[in-house]
Amino acid sequence: MKIQRSILTILILAVSVGLSGCISLAPWERGNLAKPQMALDPHPMQSVIRAHNYGSRESGASVNAAGGGGGCGCF
Amino acid sequence: MNNTQAVGSNKQDAHNRERCNSNPTTSPVKNGALQALTAAALVLPGLVLSTVEASNVSTDSFSFQYSRFQEGKRNLFTVPNNLKPIEAEVIHASGNLLLTDRVKFSYNYSRDTWAGATPVTTAPLAANGNRPILKNTADGLVTAGASPFVNTQILLDRQLNPIRQDPLTGQVIGKDTRAVEILSSASPETRNAADFKLGYEWNEAAVDFGGGISVEKDFNSSYGNVSGRLDFNQKLTSLKFGSGYSSSTTSAILDHDLVPYLTKTAYLNQIESRGGSEILHGSRQDWMGNVGLTQILGKSSLLNANIGYTHSAGFMENPYKAMTVIFVDPESFNNNLDTPIVGNVRALIEQRPDIRNQVAISSQYIQHIRPLDAALHLNYKFSFDDWGINTNTFVADWVQPLGSGWSLTPRVRYYSQEAANFYQPFLFSRQAFSQNAVDASGREIWVDANNPNVQYVRDNNFNLLDGEGKLVNESLLNVQPKSVPFNANKLPDNFSSDHRLSGYGSLSGGVTLNKQLVRGVELQAGFEYYTRASTLKLGGSGGTSFADFDFYVANAVIKVNVEQFNFMGGGSSSSGSGAHQGHSVHKHHHGGQIPAGIMYGHMLDKAGDVMVGYRFMHSRQAGDILQGTRVVSDQTVVDQGCSDALNCRFVPTYMNMNMHMLEVMYAPTHWLNVMLMPSFVDMGMNIRGLSGRSAPVPGVHEHTGIAGHATGGVGDTNVTSLIKLYTAPGHWFHLGLGFSAPTGDVGRQFRRVFQIDGGIAHFDMQLGSGTWDFLPSLTYTGEHDRWTWGAQLYGVKRMEDQNKSGYRLGDLFQATTWGGYRLMPWLSATVRGIYTGKDTIRGDFNVFNGRIGPQDFPSNSGGRFWDVGLGLNASIPRGKYAGNRLSFEWLQPIQDDVNGYQLERKGALAATWNYSF
Repeated sequence: MKIQRSILTILILAVSVGLSGCISLAPWERGNLAKPQMALDPHPMQSVIRAHNYGSRESGASVNAAGGGGGCGCF
Repeated sequence: MNNTQAVGSNKQDAHNRERCNSNPTTSPVKNGALQALTAAALVLPGLVLSTVEASNVSTDSFSFQYSRFQEGKRNLFTVPNNLKPIEAEVIHASGNLLLTDRVKFSYNYSRDTWAGATPVTTAPLAANGNRPILKNTADGLVTAGASPFVNTQILLDRQLNPIRQDPLTGQVIGKDTRAVEILSSASPETRNAADFKLGYEWNEAAVDFGGGISVEKDFNSSYGNVSGRLDFNQKLTSLKFGSGYSSSTTSAILDHDLVPYLTKTAYLNQIESRGGSEILHGSRQDWMGNVGLTQILGKSSLLNANIGYTHSAGFMENPYKAMTVIFVDPESFNNNLDTPIVGNVRALIEQRPDIRNQVAISSQYIQHIRPLDAALHLNYKFSFDDWGINTNTFVADWVQPLGSGWSLTPRVRYYSQEAANFYQPFLFSRQAFSQNAVDASGREIWVDANNPNVQYVRDNNFNLLDGEGKLVNESLLNVQPKSVPFNANKLPDNFSSDHRLSGYGSLSGGVTLNKQLVRGVELQAGFEYYTRASTLKLGGSGGTSFADFDFYVANAVIKVNVEQFNFMGGGSSSSGSGAHQGHSVHKHHHGGQIPAGIMYGHMLDKAGDVMVGYRFMHSRQAGDILQGTRVVSDQTVVDQGCSDALNCRFVPTYMNMNMHMLEVMYAPTHWLNVMLMPSFVDMGMNIRGLSGRSAPVPGVHEHTGIAGHATGGVGDTNVTSLIKLYTAPGHWFHLGLGFSAPTGDVGRQFRRVFQIDGGIAHFDMQLGSGTWDFLPSLTYTGEHDRWTWGAQLYGVKRMEDQNKSGYRLGDLFQATTWGGYRLMPWLSATVRGIYTGKDTIRGDFNVFNGRIGPQDFPSNSGGRFWDVGLGLNASIPRGKYAGNRLSFEWLQPIQDDVNGYQLERKGALAATWNYSF
């Protein structure tokens, strides 16, 4: 199960890298991508709080724990 | 995540520019064409921006967020749960500053305060670990709640199934295999955290260096990280990578309510005894690394994938969580009967592995939905670790712009995790918890309690014999059987009953509403409801439904986008002679010279002006106890500081108060300003026993150990109008009429300890006044050349007789005058004198209070106080930061003349930042 999922993710990565070779977008074709609703994280302040709340109630790892030091979460 | 944030702000920026450009009325006539063209160019992000990732053309912005977390009550099944569930309040400030075209600095500060009931362990329901609290009422004896009880005995059948008995009568009810969480309430605690990031940007690459600290009473953490980004393929592809390190230390004061009943044998080397407290020390290190790829898939979609690895080593236990172990003596099975046997229920501090390796893989797909101009965000994350915790997370967001600056984002999230391989609700161990030691001949060993190294045995006539078989005079000794504790090797290496390590699923959903106001101010409000359910676990129930709970989180954000304002404001300003790329010259403002400790000190100059600001106040009391103006001895306080009926037993050693206040000010007309000021406060206090105090009073909260008290949360909210009375060149005179709304809680309680209620916290530890208050003020300010001066009369009149806790704070009058000198065009210094008169508290608590010292008696409040303030004010007159003002003032107490008996004052610091436009 673990391995299958890892393979799936690697496949997605590989496909995306492959696709990148096929795509060419002129600057004026990037308007939609620049809209705020298309941002990777449209609500960054809220995400910080969310990560803290989930982190104090769940045991899942973060993909980017390099932010570090989330505190004890002892409550 | 920081990269993600940067992208967010970057795209927001592009969008903001688009909005700016679409409003031609805000562009000046002269520079309109140029700015319109510039804006148009910026709207085409591909010309100057990396579409995929942040480039450094982001804006300077400041954000402030308030969030409230509220958990629901947990199910105790057989007794009512009267404990307040966990609630947490967070304030979070964040800023992004562009230092040069390529160097960016960002920071975050957050402060959490939480309090409420939390599970300390899990036990069979039959163990009656939540012991009923009985109270006499008019209807007879009723069960009012429960208090934790972790050392007890339990009846078991021969298959070790718990048999439940009535906790009051002892009558056998029958087999009951259910588990229940044992709850204990926690007094409020606070956490402060700050981090920063410094980044450098090239055309197709970026690097960031960051670091931060997180400080709690019992847990400190510091960390550093470095991350980078490379763009390829005309910025259609971005590769991200980062690594970090964090070091944390735990110094947990073990719950003194639990310590006598807690088995700590595994941690004896890590526990320090100090001042009546037992402190468990531990340290931990984490190393993190991550790699990610963001790929544009087409005009309207992109994919983002990341993989992260974390290696943790050291103390990863939660020092406040215990494992319930039921010790069953194997001998009790040997009688060939099928009658119930007795298990010895004990709580052991949990034991987790010292190493943890975690891997997380996430993918995110974002699709622009053209007909609705919306964006669909789909996220999936899988993580696994060597504790056996596999998790799956699915999140879907729909970001829907609604026009006129509004947008709405509904969101749904599903999460599921497998249990850690050492998670158990509770454990059985087939050995006695302790038994009497015997020698090689099977004789019981006895020891002298005063000298336990010398062993004795008894002969058949119960005579005490020493090691050489000689008779010993027992009357000279204090002998008792030598006990041998359980064999820890017969327990698993690791065990925890922390429900966060169990198998379960959760479902949550929420909505976020955004409103983009004019002039770069954005408001956001969010709400999310979360429910944890054992039955929601992927692949079948986790079997831990006893730990199900729910919570909600509400948050509100205000964001000020400085550069965007300047872009527009520069256009609208009639004095925009220096406008250059949106950087206007800011008009000099006399308000820039007012000391930081003065509130309501200046007005906005013209109709339509807006000011946003942040005010911080820290005050400290410490040192001697005063009566009037003189220092008094402990014995005087014991005898006279409390009441005729009750002597004082404790006094504060220190009392700190921090207040964070947001200020939003608006001028509807040139003569009237309105202000809204929500506040957030936190207090810390510790106390000491007075020498010469009387013995503890049974049934009254007794402070023990070295831990102090803390409270915090939303304070009172001020709404004020300022009215211009007189203005002449160099002279300003205005009136303030304000009201304070009682949004700060005045019912904060200390936790129940040793089966005794802590009662309501001291007057000074409550978060507000609890009453509607009237706040009038009269302010005069003057200015000539480099000199400034001013004076203010300010008062607080309580408009209600009492608050919900039965008392009201004293009225207040303050008179102050100051002078200032402009040292440089942007910097001035001030000197101020302050007199404050404060009345005593009227009424008294209408709920139980411990009455432990002078701080609990209304007559020991208020007085007359004299202070001198020394301040520095910096205001930025021109350039991109024009309009920003920063002020500091230190208030040094000169004289205290207190009512009754009070702790002396040590000083106060005021700091303000505000920005007007």
